[in-house]
Amino acid sequence: MSAGLSLLLVASAALFAVGVLGVVTRRSTVVMLLGTQFMFIAGALLFVAFARFGLGAERATAGASMALFAGTVAAAELAVGLAMSALIYREHRSFALDADRG
Amino acid sequence: MPLIGAVPQPITSAPLVFFVYLVLILLIGSALASVLLRNTLYGIGAFAASMVLVALLYLAIAPFLLVAVQLLVFTTVSAALLIGLLRATTGLTASNVGRLSPEWVIGAAVSAVMFALLAVVLGATAWPVRPCCALPLSLGSTLINDYPVAFAVLALILGSAAIGTGLLLAAPTLRSPRGGGSTTARGARR
Repeated sequence: MSAGLSLLLVASAALFAVGVLGVVTRRSTVVMLLGTQFMFIAGALLFVAFARFGLGAERATAGASMALFAGTVAAAELAVGLAMSALIYREHRSFALDADRG
Repeated sequence: MPLIGAVPQPITSAPLVFFVYLVLILLIGSALASVLLRNTLYGIGAFAASMVLVALLYLAIAPFLLVAVQLLVFTTVSAALLIGLLRATTGLTASNVGRLSPEWVIGAAVSAVMFALLAVVLGATAWPVRPCCALPLSLGSTLINDYPVAFAVLALILGSAAIGTGLLLAAPTLRSPRGGGSTTARGARR
């Protein structure tokens, strides 16, 4: 039994699928933002996995650098998204994205 | 530097393999809980747990600085932003869980484990910036020397996000027919 690139690829795909599930199936802006965060994490995990186990392992720090960049961008996206969620809540007393429908 | 070299071997050490599998299973489970739970506060808790589990996974496969940043910066910032949103909107009522109840004991145990992990990470991390002395650190030098444009773009993105967030939160809101509008009133609903 071993843990290599294929295991992390499957885990990353599963994490991305969970993120898509949150974005597609939920109406709450907060949960949708969490879904996008999981998609960011899945991408960063791929960078780290390929740097550790892939053919580019001669420069293992490159993958970690990309993961750091992705995480920082994800944090910035979360901040802006949460500000938008706060605005939506102020308007409609709900986090639901389609609160003004009907 | 050759593009194609010897492919690194997978992790074969039994305890480490077990650790990676366990962390991955818990990570997928907590991610699922985060997007499926109806209670937003519990969802945020599951999300924070997912971020910690990602840091634990990095512990096995990534440089230690990435573990530290994931654990100390990304997890903390994300949880603080989400909790701040809840405090500013729906409000968080005081807990009715009594001292020395099972929930309190479990929470204290988890907190103790987290603090121990933080202490280990802080102590073992080779930080790229220190008060004195030159540090030949691979990840830090990679970030600063190999990706200066990405670093600058990242600074631009963070600055734009900060300004955009401030402008959004400062913007006046229209009063909706359903009774919304700009106010700071806090209810007890989660």
